[in-house]
Amino acid sequence: MISKEAVRELEHALGAEFVSCEPAVMDGYAYQPTHAEILGLETKWCPYRPVAVVLPHTTEEVQAVVRICNAHKLQFKALSTGWGIWNAPGSDNVVQIDLRRMDKLTIDTKNMIAVMEPYVSGAQIQAEGMKSGLNVHMVGCGCHASPLASATSLMGPGCSGITTGYSPRNVLGVEWVLPDGEILRLGVPGQGNDEWFYGDGPGPSLRGIMRGTLGACGGLGVFTKCALKLFPWPGPAQPKVEGVLMDAKVEIPGTHSSFLCFLPNLSRFADAFYKISNAEIGYFMGKHAITGALLAGCMPRAYKNLVKSETVRSILTALQNTFVIILCGRTQREYDYQHKVLKQIIADCEGFMLNIGHVPLLHSMLWWGFIRNSLPPAIFRAGGRFTTAFGGFETIDQAVFQSKIGAVIKQELIDSGDMMDDLADNSWGGLYEGSSCLAHQEELAIFDPREPKQNEGVNKYIDKAMEASTKYTITPGIGFGGGGAVPHMLGPLIYNYHHWLLQIKETLDPGNSADPSFFIAPEAEKEKYLRDYARRRPQVARLVEDILAADKKRSDVP
Amino acid sequence: MALQDYTNDMFGCSRCSLCKWIPQNQVKSWRFAKGCPSMDRYHFHAYSGSGRMIMGMSMLDGRSELGDAVAEIIYKCQLCGACQVACMAVRDDIDLGDVLLEERARCVEEGFLLPEHMEFIESMKREDNTLGMRKADRGNWAKGLDIPDINLERVEVLFHAGCRYSYDEDLMETVRNAVALLKKGGVKAGIAGRDEACCGGRAYETGYQGEMKKYADDMAGRVKASGAAMLVTPCADCYYTFKYLYPKNGISLDVEVLHITELADRLIRAGTIKPKRAVPMKVTYHDPCHLGRRGEAYRGGWSGENKLDRPIRFKQSGEKGVFEPPRNIIRSIPGIEFVEMERIREWSYCCGAGGGVLEAFPEFAGWTARERMEEVASTGAEALVTACPWCVRVFQDTIRETGSSLKVIDVTELLMRSLGGK
Amino acid sequence: MVGKKALAGIVGEENVVTDRNILDAFAVDKSYGEGTPPAFLVKPHSTEEVQAVINLAKSEGFPLIPVSSGAPRDHEDTVPACADSVIVDLSDMKKIVRLDRRNKVALIEPGVTFGELHAAAKAAGLRVLMPLLPRMNKSVLASCLEREPFTIPKYQWDTTDPLMCMELVFGSGDIYRTGSAAGPGSLEAQWETGAAQKNPLGPGQWDPLRLVQGAQGTMGIVTWGSVKLELLPREEKCFLAAAEKMDELIEFSYLIQKFKLVDVCFIMNAVDLASLRMDVVGKFPPWVLVYSISGYEYFPGERIDYIEHDIEEMAHATGVLPISGVAGVSAGDIVGAATLPCEGIYWKDRLRGDCRDIFFITTLDRVPRFLDAMAGEAKAHGFPEGSLGIYIQPIQQGRNCHLEFNLMYDGRNADEAGRVRALYETASVRCADMGAFFSRPYGAWAALAYRKDQPTVKALKMVKHMLDPKGIMNPGKLSLGTEV
Repeated sequence: MISKEAVRELEHALGAEFVSCEPAVMDGYAYQPTHAEILGLETKWCPYRPVAVVLPHTTEEVQAVVRICNAHKLQFKALSTGWGIWNAPGSDNVVQIDLRRMDKLTIDTKNMIAVMEPYVSGAQIQAEGMKSGLNVHMVGCGCHASPLASATSLMGPGCSGITTGYSPRNVLGVEWVLPDGEILRLGVPGQGNDEWFYGDGPGPSLRGIMRGTLGACGGLGVFTKCALKLFPWPGPAQPKVEGVLMDAKVEIPGTHSSFLCFLPNLSRFADAFYKISNAEIGYFMGKHAITGALLAGCMPRAYKNLVKSETVRSILTALQNTFVIILCGRTQREYDYQHKVLKQIIADCEGFMLNIGHVPLLHSMLWWGFIRNSLPPAIFRAGGRFTTAFGGFETIDQAVFQSKIGAVIKQELIDSGDMMDDLADNSWGGLYEGSSCLAHQEELAIFDPREPKQNEGVNKYIDKAMEASTKYTITPGIGFGGGGAVPHMLGPLIYNYHHWLLQIKETLDPGNSADPSFFIAPEAEKEKYLRDYARRRPQVARLVEDILAADKKRSDVP
Repeated sequence: MALQDYTNDMFGCSRCSLCKWIPQNQVKSWRFAKGCPSMDRYHFHAYSGSGRMIMGMSMLDGRSELGDAVAEIIYKCQLCGACQVACMAVRDDIDLGDVLLEERARCVEEGFLLPEHMEFIESMKREDNTLGMRKADRGNWAKGLDIPDINLERVEVLFHAGCRYSYDEDLMETVRNAVALLKKGGVKAGIAGRDEACCGGRAYETGYQGEMKKYADDMAGRVKASGAAMLVTPCADCYYTFKYLYPKNGISLDVEVLHITELADRLIRAGTIKPKRAVPMKVTYHDPCHLGRRGEAYRGGWSGENKLDRPIRFKQSGEKGVFEPPRNIIRSIPGIEFVEMERIREWSYCCGAGGGVLEAFPEFAGWTARERMEEVASTGAEALVTACPWCVRVFQDTIRETGSSLKVIDVTELLMRSLGGK
Repeated sequence: MVGKKALAGIVGEENVVTDRNILDAFAVDKSYGEGTPPAFLVKPHSTEEVQAVINLAKSEGFPLIPVSSGAPRDHEDTVPACADSVIVDLSDMKKIVRLDRRNKVALIEPGVTFGELHAAAKAAGLRVLMPLLPRMNKSVLASCLEREPFTIPKYQWDTTDPLMCMELVFGSGDIYRTGSAAGPGSLEAQWETGAAQKNPLGPGQWDPLRLVQGAQGTMGIVTWGSVKLELLPREEKCFLAAAEKMDELIEFSYLIQKFKLVDVCFIMNAVDLASLRMDVVGKFPPWVLVYSISGYEYFPGERIDYIEHDIEEMAHATGVLPISGVAGVSAGDIVGAATLPCEGIYWKDRLRGDCRDIFFITTLDRVPRFLDAMAGEAKAHGFPEGSLGIYIQPIQQGRNCHLEFNLMYDGRNADEAGRVRALYETASVRCADMGAFFSRPYGAWAALAYRKDQPTVKALKMVKHMLDPKGIMNPGKLSLGTEV
């Protein structure tokens, strides 16, 4: 419950029209179905509804909200574009800070930097950047998501990564409202000159407590502004595009083309990735489960029938080890060179490739769909929802290993009728940072939340993926994002990282005012979080009991 | 259909929030990337297409109740359809626009009525129009035009002026121009004069779904009696009602329905009329929602259970609305420099007038119009051309309030200038 | 004060140094820092030994100063600020644990020097991302931990590069691994799944690597780290672009970096070039942009060829003329000299015997204003133009640059040394006032870097307290006011 006094103070700080305690309005923030299944939550209503929703317009207003929350012993949780379970409130005492009104953007063309507020989308930055020959890293979920949110608070993979890196590593200056309402500016902006070009130091970089593989998902305050790196765009300043997605028709520069590369097996697939990385070619590159998610997204009804045919299945299966690469030459010379190298690499890896440029309509849809990153939500077409697992960021070989394991798990569930048949091939992932040989692959699974059996199937899949990650010592990716109980469970396997998270949390936020539910459960709430988690995922019940028993043993020691 | 019949649609929402933006493929700038006036003005998620579906689920699940505050949110929406277009770019199984209509019907069923809406509903009941005017004066706009009266003779084409054109004196010139255009084109059209009645669409949109039936039957009877093989209207709202709402509710007019711009375009392309006089002006075109994405003919009729299995041809995705005819007309006029805005066609931004907003929340309507006028200004156009009386009305009102020098011109009026007057 | 016996019990008697000559040498370095000689120097050989030393320091309350590189040291960071300190000399931990050609990464201990890693990498067809002419005995990990810029900006995707993962012992005594090296699983188990300790993020929701980097050894002691390597080019072609004024090179420099067309890329003035190539008789032009183009495994010559042509067009458009050599020295020779570990006298000391550096982060377009300011300050202090070296190293793929003024002088001349010191202090303040970002705030720069940023100071104190609760790790060097 929120007191009338607290509401009055919020209204005074922001204006009454920007504060709501209306249940129907607040339910707009208590429905975060996407990836709730990863936490074992129901994929409809979140466990908690915020006690109020507020819409600040400035950093100072965010600061005021945070201070009011502290004064009234309320928790707060911010969201930007707000897609996914990580945005949900984690207790019945949370003021949801919707940052939608903070949407300013400036671009420093020379130094390839964009300074943005939370509610600026990838598409907006890209559209403005392209006017100056620049592009932004697009995160996997789509171009309508907030790059600031990805870079400061969540993950950050995306298939332009070969050119545009990985969200958390693209951060420059940051403005951060801490849980006590103080404003911390990381890097150059801390000097007070309104400059944003560097985010580390002076001295040790406080980006180290801001986030790691994953962000704090709101558990350490609110990020109100940040600068991100932009990357070159060797294409038109404003591509001429007709159509909204699948129907796109685009004028594609003669020095750009997209290729579907088919490899005979995952080993040669990995080899091709390494060679491309070493050759420093390609603008966009990723595995998109051509015969799984992508095909299902493009033709969902036909796909369900196609996979029933053994002949078609055999063809699709033979084509599974496929990736898309887009070459974007700034000049014809560059394009010709890259094309020649690509052909040689695919030949050396015993594969073959199709130049999609020879299929104009398909090329339009894919070229712009990938560059703009508008295609990812099409995955909903087949079932309405999807889940994901694995996705640890490491070498190409390890990414491929993750997708192999994922496919094995999924095939078992497909065989038992628990999951939709996607040939078990639904991994997507990219190659990152040019020549760095860094990659990630997530194993997706499509499901219809309106079908109880499919909900069960997807939960089994997540359970098995968690088991496999531990069994095969796989670098966690999505696994880190399982909510506040997870660090307590994974920590003992990973140098007790949870101890340090706890210290960061308790030092920056002794009052626990920043909703910790997707960061780490504070010591006082650890048992509740763990038991809740075990109730939702019975497979970890024993582990949870062991952890709690060990805690008790420690506390019993005089 | 009632709200609960859309449970699966609502639960299908992944809360991706694409409904707040224009389709991502079309984002061309930071400034004009957003697509939902309601969301842009009020910001809470509840004001978006997704938020409205979540509200619907919340009510059905008994988590919240329909009350004055919720009803106000439901009504603070122009039903412009931008959310549905953005959603349907990636979804086949969510009829978002229909959910919004059913939420309004629920408001009416449960007695959460807006006085401003009740006013025009009363006017409809009493005088057959939405503007509170006398039924007896409905045909006054056509005085002196020498156009056949379908009550007296059978015609090839029935010209339906619509409420706004029939009574709004500022716009009367436009509708009279439309008739002149028909004459120039040799079209044998007639009107119903004082016997013309509202199409009923506005009542349906504001939740009074049952009210539309009477007007639809009346309209069908009038069309039949006129002997016309074609129904032409200059009103985008009426056009949408005829093309979408009537068939969706099982009502057939059994004639070809055209917007005046479609007919004019045909006449130009056939060479029947030839725009010759130069109109030296830089213009841009605003797609009226009801003529554009929502003017798309009803694509329903699929009767399966699971919308995931529904073939694409049944998707009301908006791309088959009336987009090219008005543009063809503009392009056919000598001397005109035609520039496009960023948000056009099925991803156009609303003018602000629709869905009962102009009547109930004029400030919001004006805010939306101002937002659109900023986009017009960004093109450098001196005039905004459009094809809907409601759009013209709200833009003109806003121009008056803001002192803008922008001109708003109906496309038929522009055409008539080039054709050499009436 | 800790006794030798306790230390010897951990590292062995032979690894506890008590020689006063050696110890006293740590009381000063090339900078202006003045410290206190350490009580002992210990040479651990394993993570466990490092941990034991830290735990001893915690319980006994003596300071530890980690050192990995050989002399001469600079920047004050290894000069003990407190009495009774113990130098933890990691130079004997010099295993190259693993060099992975496929994943282009080396897992090395802190004692591995650039000279050693360079040789090993080269043998595997790889190259080390090195700062400009590092000392041959400079520890690779120490350089990485200091965020020293390296000469191929296109490979710096983030400021932490080329350091990827590491193992360390925090001041708290906890052994920790960062990034994907943290697990789950041992290094061997991770290698089995194809991993190579290449993800620098995490583990989980924090990035301890970033807290240790730039910390001057105040947070813990690193016991191994993985550094990314890159392919040794099959072919390479080097160029120079000369200019009378630095401004003339800015647009061209931005362009060639934006599209990652060049490998080695930096700008120097004639003084620095002369110091770099003392053997050159001719006179260097005032400013020179140095860059190289490389060809790798596939069609190397063709890669160089197309890039060369593309760059020619850029040069033409920006009024720059790429040349293959100047003053009788080829571009290749300059690149060659600049990208190897420095043998003999350190390159900055060659011209006048000594050198003081002022360096900070800015952006290329802001550089000219600092050049003007520095010229003014030099003049005001009677510092000769011919002794002012300037080195501009683009970093983070050209988004920022490391701007370095090298004040070359004769340290034996007290008057000159005094003027240099005055110039150093005044110019540092002037640059800070103009927006210079002292991201590596050694010594007196800390006051400049932190004076306007108290929230950062507060947060850093929190971090320091968390990782080194007893304050034993190199106390005083963070210069946060109260952490000693």
